[in-house]
Amino acid sequence: MIDRRSFVHFDWVTFFVTIALTLIGLASVYSAIHARSPSISYKEIYWIVIGLALLMAAVIMNYTLLERFAYFIYGASLLLLVMVFAVGHSAAGAKRWLHLGFFTVQPSEMAKLALVVTLAKYFSSKATPHGGLSLKDLIVPGLIMLAPFALVAKQPDLGTAIILWMIFWSMALVVKIRVKVLAGLFIAGAAMTPFMWKALKGYQKARLTSFLDPRLDPKGTGYHIMQSKIAIGSGGFTGKGYLHGTQGKLMFLPEHHTDFIFAALAEEWGAIGSLAVILLFAVLILSGLNTAGTSKDRFGFLLAFGLTAMLFWHAAINLGMVSGLLPVVGVPLPFISYGGSFLITSLTAVGILISIRMRRFMF
Amino acid sequence: MKKAALIEKNGRLRIYILLAVFAVFFAVIAFRAFQLQALEGGKLGRMAANQHNRTVSVPSRRGEIFDRNLKELAVSLDVDSVYAEPGRIESPKAASRALAPVLSMDAREIERRLGSGRGFVWLKRQIDLGDDQRRKVAAIEGVGITKEARRFYPNRQLASNLIGFIGKDSGGLEGIELYYDNFLKGVSYRLTGERDAAGKTLMYEDVNKQASIRGMEIELTIDKTIQYIAEKSLARAVEAYGAKGGSAIVMNPSTGELLAMATLPTYDPNNFNSFMPREWRNRAVTDAFEPGSVVKLFLISAALEENATRPEEIFFCENGSYRVADRTFHDVEKYGWLTTSQIMKYSSNIGAAKIGERLGKQRLHRYLKSFGFGEKTGVDLPGESAGSFMNYKKWSGVTIDTVSFGQGISATGIQLVTALSAVANGGFVMKPYVVRRVADSKGAVVAETNPSIVRRVISEKTARKMTELLIGVTDSGGTGTRAALDGFEVAGKTGTAQKADLKKGGYHESAHVATFMGFVPARDPKLAILVMIDEPKKEHHGGVVSAPVFKEIASESLSYMGVYPEGPGGAKTSMVQYVSAVSQSPLQAREGGRGAYAGTKEDDAAVGGVPDFTGKTVRSVLNAAKERSLEVSIIGSGRAVAQRPSPGRGVPRNIPVVVWFQ
Repeated sequence: MIDRRSFVHFDWVTFFVTIALTLIGLASVYSAIHARSPSISYKEIYWIVIGLALLMAAVIMNYTLLERFAYFIYGASLLLLVMVFAVGHSAAGAKRWLHLGFFTVQPSEMAKLALVVTLAKYFSSKATPHGGLSLKDLIVPGLIMLAPFALVAKQPDLGTAIILWMIFWSMALVVKIRVKVLAGLFIAGAAMTPFMWKALKGYQKARLTSFLDPRLDPKGTGYHIMQSKIAIGSGGFTGKGYLHGTQGKLMFLPEHHTDFIFAALAEEWGAIGSLAVILLFAVLILSGLNTAGTSKDRFGFLLAFGLTAMLFWHAAINLGMVSGLLPVVGVPLPFISYGGSFLITSLTAVGILISIRMRRFMF
Repeated sequence: MKKAALIEKNGRLRIYILLAVFAVFFAVIAFRAFQLQALEGGKLGRMAANQHNRTVSVPSRRGEIFDRNLKELAVSLDVDSVYAEPGRIESPKAASRALAPVLSMDAREIERRLGSGRGFVWLKRQIDLGDDQRRKVAAIEGVGITKEARRFYPNRQLASNLIGFIGKDSGGLEGIELYYDNFLKGVSYRLTGERDAAGKTLMYEDVNKQASIRGMEIELTIDKTIQYIAEKSLARAVEAYGAKGGSAIVMNPSTGELLAMATLPTYDPNNFNSFMPREWRNRAVTDAFEPGSVVKLFLISAALEENATRPEEIFFCENGSYRVADRTFHDVEKYGWLTTSQIMKYSSNIGAAKIGERLGKQRLHRYLKSFGFGEKTGVDLPGESAGSFMNYKKWSGVTIDTVSFGQGISATGIQLVTALSAVANGGFVMKPYVVRRVADSKGAVVAETNPSIVRRVISEKTARKMTELLIGVTDSGGTGTRAALDGFEVAGKTGTAQKADLKKGGYHESAHVATFMGFVPARDPKLAILVMIDEPKKEHHGGVVSAPVFKEIASESLSYMGVYPEGPGGAKTSMVQYVSAVSQSPLQAREGGRGAYAGTKEDDAAVGGVPDFTGKTVRSVLNAAKERSLEVSIIGSGRAVAQRPSPGRGVPRNIPVVVWFQ
């Protein structure tokens, strides 16, 4: 299963970029939280160790195994999501966690990986009709996505649900959708918008309107965005220096060690630091796409693309939300935000990417 | 395989399209980060600083105000102020209901304040809370207590018009509190620190280390007891005659120190808001009025000084009706021939007009100017009025006559008592003052006011003649007999002026200002007192309404000061000395001299009178004093400009002669 030649083709770029982002994340989490709960930094180290172990396991494992067990993985992840409702642990008004003995996991994170694997398997096993997928061709993969989507949205975990949604459409697009279908879906989506708006809850609407103009309500729903922008902006060009950020430490910036870690990082490291992080993500995504493009089979192509899309959408939505370009939807920044399950998921995804890349010449 | 390759190829193409999409996303985010940090960084940085940095103004503890015997007139107490940070309060309703009984406020009012949308609101300032109440307040999240110093005036309305008060933000608004605000308030210290989102402040500096921020202490020339006597006597007369108001000023004529300054209406400075602003005013300083006949005192002083008349010279008083140009002047009673002394004694307007005519516009104007009319005295109190006194060049044909008996001229109480003191002390116009010492919170004297001579207006000789004339006023048959004291000679002058009718012009028939001013003991004056009563009803003569007030203040104050009449007839007074501020070093005053009146009785041991030190140096004064075994107290440096007692007067043993140098 493992070949000495493989390591010649080991994707060091992806690996080092990932390690760099993870260490930046650890440093930022420490800076953000050490004053109030020092134990969190130790937990983070513990998650990194587990994540790196899984990364190496994924590298060693031939990704074609995933193709074989795709539907089994999918079924297992759905089962875990259902279990969350039965025996889940809730925090901050959402039921997202499962206690597994000595640690807790977020099955919704695994659902992302499961969805990518399952869709890759599904799309690669079906020949794409000439001209692209028709509406009918989208029904089955659509349902594959909607099952975990519905379960996650119910928790509620809007951020993860959006990621699942984006993964599905990214993969369907790369498989190719008929132009007419695409246009039709687009028009239908636009027509539905007013009805969707009505269906939204008050706080969800407030999130959207305050995103459009946070100054409307600086103390209420716009607070988060405003504080995040203040944190990023006050970093200036060179930043306030490591451990010298104030927005996070003085607790003006909520969730400064999780979803809003980038704002805290940007405050301390300035434009130089934040552009460096964005650059690292760009390199990671580029090399992920390269892995997809050079993969030896269609499953590998779709799998690599799906994982890259997953990482991309996380980074894009998180950075957009933190910098006030997108509404606050609760999507963490891969490798950097504090959060065990997601860190493990991201590192595993990178492991699979490296594995695909490494095995591109092996038939 | 060919088909698969094609799909692969198309797949690649779409990958590049998606790559472009991804790249655009990254570019937008990178641009956004750059925009926020490099372009808007300054603005957002300031916003961050605004919410993180907190400067706390630690208000300095305001200095206290004492009377001349270091009795407290205004003090600062530490009290609690309760504030709220509405953003941190979960349930404003519950918090309001819990706080209402503790703060004795209406729950709805508290709720309204909490809902005002501000980050910080005062709920109640400057209240006294018990430990129990404090605990209850502290238990509510988002509500806190801070210590604030509250100004407290232990004597309530006593001297309130003089002392003034401070506003909620600790700035002096009236009186001494306003005039000496810079000394009293001290330096409020600004501390910088960080504030977290919950509103907790983390200070960079230790608040308690800042010890030297207290305001300075002020010691007044006012004597609380004399002030009380003056207020009580004034209030009784104002009440008895249903008057609108009045003022009574007591001055040490030798130095210009104000010993008491009572005005009515008055107010309680602890609760100044429930009084009208017009009740806050110190009328003795701010309000000028037409003084009426008391001006004759200065007119005749001028005429005697200029040898324009002699006390025995007689004037024909026209049997009570004197026509000048288109005006006819009247006397209250019809007089024929009167001497200058009698003109003073009976207060004849016609006689005064004739003396004025004799003196002439120019000289009358010059002398009254010299006495301080039409010019602020410079007393250290806010809002002083200069009164009005037209230049003689603008006088009409009869102005010389009206000014001679006090019409067409206006003056404040402080101007009149200062001018009177000049006659009492042998001719020196002194600068009146009310603060004699400013000391920092550790007791070191920062500033000290010494008596200062503004100018000499009449000679010692004229002053002595005037004193005789003024004694006549309170002697039997005079207009001021009700001011006469048992055992003391009183030199004084009455005044009854109709008030000018500002609406119609001319004078009110029924609105009068009744005045009496005088000094006592006449030949060695310790007190110069002015009593002015505004619009008394029933009676309006100064000799009837105000003279008894003068008598009451004078007799009670003299006996309090330990000045006793000696022997029958009361021509002489014993020399129980009133140790004035100036004869004591500041240190003595602070250490042992909390009671400033030395009660020891001294024999009059004048050693042939005090020499005239004027123009001499400190050294030669000290030598001269040594020769005569006199004690001297030196104030200032340079050449001697003034002394007390004045040259030729006796001085008791062990009591220093005070000499001022400039």
